[in-house]
Amino acid sequence: METATVTNGASIELEPAVDIPSSCNHYYLNMGPQHPSTHGVLRVLLEMDGEYVVEAQPVLGYGHRMHEKMAEHKTWMAFMPNTGRMDYAAALPYNHGYVSLFERLCGIEVPARAEYIRVITSELNRIVSHHLWLGAFLLDLGAFTPILYTFDDREQVLDILEDVTGSRLTYCYYRVGGVCKDIDDKFVERTRAFIKRQRERFKVYNELVTGNIIFLKRVEGVGIITPEMARRYGVTGPVLRGSGIAYDIRKAEPYSVYDKFDFEIPVGKTGDSLDRYLVRLEEMEQSLRIIEQALDQLPEGPYLGKVPKKLKLPTGDSSFAVEAARGELTYYLVSGGGDIPYRLKIRVPSYSNLSVLPELGKGLLIADLVAAMGSLDLVIPEIDR
Amino acid sequence: MHPATEKLVSDLQALSIEARSCDFAQRGYHLEIDLEAGQVRTLAECMLKNDMYLVFVGGLHVQPATEVIYQFASFEHPCRVVARAAVDGNNAVPTISDIFQGANWHERETRDFFGVIFTGHPYLKPLILAEEDADLKPLLKSDADLKESGAVRWAPPEEPAAEKKSPNADDKKTEEG
Amino acid sequence: MPPELLRMIITAVLVVAFVFLNAMILGYMERKVSAHIQRRPGLMEVGPHGVLQLIVDGLKLIGKQLVVPEGASPFLFRLAPLLSFVPCVLPFVVIPFSRKLQAVSMDVSLIYILAMTSINVIAILVAGWASNNKYSLFGTFRSVAQAVSYEIPMLLSLLSVILITSTFSLKGIIEAQKYYWFILIQPVAFIIYFISGLAETNRAPFDMPEAESELTAGFHTEYSGMGFSFFFLAEYANMFTVCSIATILFLGGWKGIPLPLGDYTGIVWFLLKVYGLLFVMIWVRWTYPRVRFDQLMTFCWKYLIPFSLANLLITAVVVKII
Repeated sequence: METATVTNGASIELEPAVDIPSSCNHYYLNMGPQHPSTHGVLRVLLEMDGEYVVEAQPVLGYGHRMHEKMAEHKTWMAFMPNTGRMDYAAALPYNHGYVSLFERLCGIEVPARAEYIRVITSELNRIVSHHLWLGAFLLDLGAFTPILYTFDDREQVLDILEDVTGSRLTYCYYRVGGVCKDIDDKFVERTRAFIKRQRERFKVYNELVTGNIIFLKRVEGVGIITPEMARRYGVTGPVLRGSGIAYDIRKAEPYSVYDKFDFEIPVGKTGDSLDRYLVRLEEMEQSLRIIEQALDQLPEGPYLGKVPKKLKLPTGDSSFAVEAARGELTYYLVSGGGDIPYRLKIRVPSYSNLSVLPELGKGLLIADLVAAMGSLDLVIPEIDR
Repeated sequence: MHPATEKLVSDLQALSIEARSCDFAQRGYHLEIDLEAGQVRTLAECMLKNDMYLVFVGGLHVQPATEVIYQFASFEHPCRVVARAAVDGNNAVPTISDIFQGANWHERETRDFFGVIFTGHPYLKPLILAEEDADLKPLLKSDADLKESGAVRWAPPEEPAAEKKSPNADDKKTEEG
Repeated sequence: MPPELLRMIITAVLVVAFVFLNAMILGYMERKVSAHIQRRPGLMEVGPHGVLQLIVDGLKLIGKQLVVPEGASPFLFRLAPLLSFVPCVLPFVVIPFSRKLQAVSMDVSLIYILAMTSINVIAILVAGWASNNKYSLFGTFRSVAQAVSYEIPMLLSLLSVILITSTFSLKGIIEAQKYYWFILIQPVAFIIYFISGLAETNRAPFDMPEAESELTAGFHTEYSGMGFSFFFLAEYANMFTVCSIATILFLGGWKGIPLPLGDYTGIVWFLLKVYGLLFVMIWVRWTYPRVRFDQLMTFCWKYLIPFSLANLLITAVVVKII
């Protein structure tokens, strides 16, 4: 073990880099916890050989809040707002998985309308998350303008969601048995208007970004994740699909009413940053398709089913996986009866997606590392939980 | 049951690991496995061979020994597996981080939260917690809260149909408004 | 007081004042143009349409402390901003703003300007080295490599104009463009010069030394207050110099359609052309992503230098024949 002293005086032990002769002049670079392209309080300790990364070691936990412990100290309903505070960019899928877990465990029926509302809002949230990623990713590549374009679009959705959920970022909208507020005609109308607008905006994105030669040169062949590597690390979501594996929980284990919609799983070919970019853009289009179909099929009826006032959990364990914006989110609950979970394990997608970085980063230029990290779409509070 | 899942079950049987199938609609996974600490690596190797990926590794503090929970799933067909392994006398289980590299961080996290030692892990340092909190083990239960492992095993809900007819059905309310 | 000394003092004051004014105009322009490119209003608060914002920003920067980081070399750390600023002011002495407005007329003004702008590299080197910060050092490595490389195509492209005019005097070059601008006969040289100019002034998409998303702020990561503002002033002054050389050599300098402004016609045309080019620089910055460092060097050595050499060769042959 060698000890690297970093500029802020802290020190951390690193795994020795095995394949690099010790005669080389390496130095350590402390990227983060405050760095423009780590998007939050992630710290990556880099062992550098000139501009090349020899070893990239993420250091986590700067935003750690111990949500899993909180879950063991609150009633399951009181923990509900916490679920919206892990992935700040796409909180509704987190809500979705959590309430569905209890519905599954207690066998609660959800009215069809509520399921449709959940799907519509979840997909809107996914688009919002991809907006945020798109802007931030291009910012990492040094393009300052697209982020304001995507934030402009993002505002439209946030306004729609704010009207119905009451918040703009950390949602707590779903309830066991349904949702807490019904959507109205205005919501439907605005969502349809947004779909139309967003389709137009894809052209703007493509003209501004996708065809740009500098952009292509920066992302093509950079940070390749092979399907085999993805399997070993448990990579999921758009990152996995960029590697060419068509795995989407919405299709693989259809929850809610996702089996009623016709949508495709976009996949990449080589698993480089460009593929991940293209997959996410296409995913936004597919989300629009889902929303469109859901709005067309939207049934009438109650938006909240009949739920016992005090929900007593049966003993035993149950698992629920949903496709969050960044990949597979799994809640694994162990209950010993009562209304406080005995143990709630939250498997967050970014955690496994980021764990590829030490292998992915080896031998990359620092600029490529930034591009590759940007294309992983990391949300740090989600990783730290 | 999907043919690939059947193959997995028979492969596991050949390694004398018994996989019980579960009701997906209630449990959210298809196969359930109870393991000895020594069988963890055998299981992981079999999972990798059957093209499964590691969903997570987590801990569960119960009597008599802390359990480590592994969840695997498949990219190709619907198959989700939950395996539990109780730690051995030294509070340890073998690492699977050389088989599934993704387990590296999950194991470090479990070590942070439960103090489980993963023998053979290349770098078992605190990941989520700070270095100085290495002995905090925040998810260990207090003696009052600690349950027997049998008390958190799946028990079918006591006739949900009967519950619906129970007198407190009047209390049911919709949270409208 | 001898008139020559008075003349020098007035020149110095005017030039420094112009550098500050230019930085304010460009700072405002950059923020407004970028804002409109990004569909937002930009500066609006201080003064009408925020025109006074830059004055307020300047006061803020003056009021700030220059923090010398621990382990940095205090002397070099303080020297670097001045080293960066002073050479950037000097080219303004010889730039002919109009037929009559030129402080010093030199026969070798072009060489003088190029020499002065090259000193900036040393300032960046000192700044990055003295900061005792790895990101700064990184920026420095990149900057030195980049500036040294891009100087070659820049000089080669200018040389092809010099071959035609056979003078290094800026006035002489402008006078030589009596009937047409040199951009018409030297378009390749102009494009190469402009690209190299972007790289020389560390502007996006070649802003490697200060690549924000990789190196936080590159060589000036550790600078605050006036230390930072000197680099900022120097960058804008450099941009102005680069664009004015482009204007003088390729766009006919002060020449243009006569306006009813008497002697001021020349200066109006000159500034219009220079700020037009500066607008293009800003436009490029807010539209394109950043290139990677190795791509930057490849682009210089594999494309720009061969093309500028070929251009120079063809020019030489044509000039010889004619």
